[in-house]
Amino acid sequence: MLTAMAAADLDVLVLGRQDDANFATGMHRLWTAGTRPFGAGCIVVRSTGRAHVLSSWDAGLPSTMSTDDLYPATWNPRIMAGYMAGVPGLRDARRIGVDEVSPSFARAVARIAPDAEIVPADEVISSARRLKSPEEIELIRRACDFARAGVDAVLDDPRGGIARAIEAIAALGVTIPSSAPVFRALPDGYTIDIGVMVDGYEGGVGGRYETGRRLPTSDLPSACRVGATHGELAAASTGDWLVRGLGMGFERPVLNATLGFDEVLEEGMVLSVSDGEHRDIVAVTAAGPQVLSEPEGER
Amino acid sequence: MRRQQVDAAILLHGPNVTYATGFVPDAIDASHVNYRRAVAIVPATGTARLHSHSATSPGPALWPELDDGIPLVADAISEAIGDLDGKRIAVDSITGAMARADIFDGAELVDATRILGPARLCKTDDEIACIERAQIVNEWAMEVARSRCVPGARRSEVAGALLAEFRRLGSDHNEIDPIFQVMSRRRADGVLTDVGEVAFPTGIEDPAFAEGDLVWVDGGHGYEGYASDFGRTWIVGREPNPEEHDCFEQWKSIMAATIAAVRPGATLADVGRAATDANGGERPWLPHFYVGHAVGLDSAEMPMAGSDLGDEFDEGFVLAEGMILVLEPIVWRDGVASYRAEEIVVVTADGSRVLTSGPGYLPYEGPDDQLADP
Repeated sequence: MLTAMAAADLDVLVLGRQDDANFATGMHRLWTAGTRPFGAGCIVVRSTGRAHVLSSWDAGLPSTMSTDDLYPATWNPRIMAGYMAGVPGLRDARRIGVDEVSPSFARAVARIAPDAEIVPADEVISSARRLKSPEEIELIRRACDFARAGVDAVLDDPRGGIARAIEAIAALGVTIPSSAPVFRALPDGYTIDIGVMVDGYEGGVGGRYETGRRLPTSDLPSACRVGATHGELAAASTGDWLVRGLGMGFERPVLNATLGFDEVLEEGMVLSVSDGEHRDIVAVTAAGPQVLSEPEGER
Repeated sequence: MRRQQVDAAILLHGPNVTYATGFVPDAIDASHVNYRRAVAIVPATGTARLHSHSATSPGPALWPELDDGIPLVADAISEAIGDLDGKRIAVDSITGAMARADIFDGAELVDATRILGPARLCKTDDEIACIERAQIVNEWAMEVARSRCVPGARRSEVAGALLAEFRRLGSDHNEIDPIFQVMSRRRADGVLTDVGEVAFPTGIEDPAFAEGDLVWVDGGHGYEGYASDFGRTWIVGREPNPEEHDCFEQWKSIMAATIAAVRPGATLADVGRAATDANGGERPWLPHFYVGHAVGLDSAEMPMAGSDLGDEFDEGFVLAEGMILVLEPIVWRDGVASYRAEEIVVVTADGSRVLTSGPGYLPYEGPDDQLADP
């Protein structure tokens, strides 16, 4: 992150989004659904090499951080401004990158660091997140296993519906959804899609299921090769399609019928690949697409 | 908007979009809703425009997160409110792509909180009905979860039982990873805050429960986007002992006194004082929280009583009909036991009303109708 900040000439990074803060620090905290108003959830300072995190306690803090790196939660904007002003290196920052911003936050920063320019830094973070390490790919593969356990539970007891998937995944220790679950009865089977967050990483799987098995209804996953272009992916799809980055949730790149014409798939990307009701999680590797959402023996 | 002399509002924060349009974004991971944003464009005169990623969206789906999504966002804005030059526009969130494209060039930007804050403060009867319905479903599902909170069960299993029951009751809008936190009997034995107080809710562990564990419970799902807030204390695998029961009785008397202070014309400070007086002069709440907060489209919103906004704020804030306070006093007897629970109280024309189906406080005390029949 510090290297990426240097490359983008950012002195300070202020992150409001939970996934960005998790990526920058390894911090885990209570999950809540939906958008949050922008606020300083995490502050990274290049000159000191330190990350500061909004938390009133050290539970969930990675071992590399200490209580000195925390500023407590507050409802009071003036108190928050005081905490920010106290972060070493923030007052004299020239360029402060943000992953999102609100007018009131911009005004608050202008008071604390009058010489600073606030610049968008979403690209800096998404570039850093764009390619996955082998360890990250294993975490995603594991999260896909959890999603598949949910699908199996629904297939075992279709009348129980999504509630069965929720219980089965919870029995494995996970209670956080990534996307909205889908379960529809068809004349000959079911359409199912399950997405989960496991230890900060997303997994999922979706498709049409008949006699307990998923139908191979899409060629799009096998088109996710190094160097694949928008045109090649569009040509391989048969339904409404979406190919998007997957890691600590929804990520870039995003390609569909109207977006991502300049994107080219790279080795190390992990993608959620949707084509109609079919969805696979695919790692783009030098040896070709590796489908992480299929059971190990069938990949 | 007229009072703030704002020409239009452009809203990306889920609860604000719901307030403006009635559309409720999925209760899923923030990363997903950040990309697949619902956007409301609200001119001061005329109707609000909604752009969502659902099949029934009246306007095309927008991707304000992405550079190549910006042209469509700009088109939607210009179609709804025309040229932005010289206009005063309320916004709640500006993505990197919106900033790079200078999409609000020429406009004066004000924070949408200035409009949404006051507008959302007093709830209409419909809004109150949504919160009440969400709370009743929450109470029902929590009773199912309580039956699963037994020795050897893990937090995730109990949470799974709750989330599955929400689904069975027709709700797909769970808003928080449900909290079933085992509290130490001694403050010093648990996780502490920066000021040495009890840390709650940490929300990151998945312990297996043991008999006699004191579990602080907190969970919320929404109806039509409107949040509920269920808080209780459970004891795993046995009935409360006399000391634990005494703790609960003290909590009940604090809660009764605090509810009695909620009425139109009372200040937030009056509410805090009632709680403190009923607790022998000590504030019965965690300093990083409050004794009460509102729920609405956000699970914690204004007003808040006893927060670090400070005494002056609380003294100056007068309650009015339609405002909501979720009261959550805490009794902590160090080394002995603790009790925490929540009730949603709405300010009525002449007092207040608790939004609840009256499930009681099991395992300490059953519903009223059972108590009346020994």
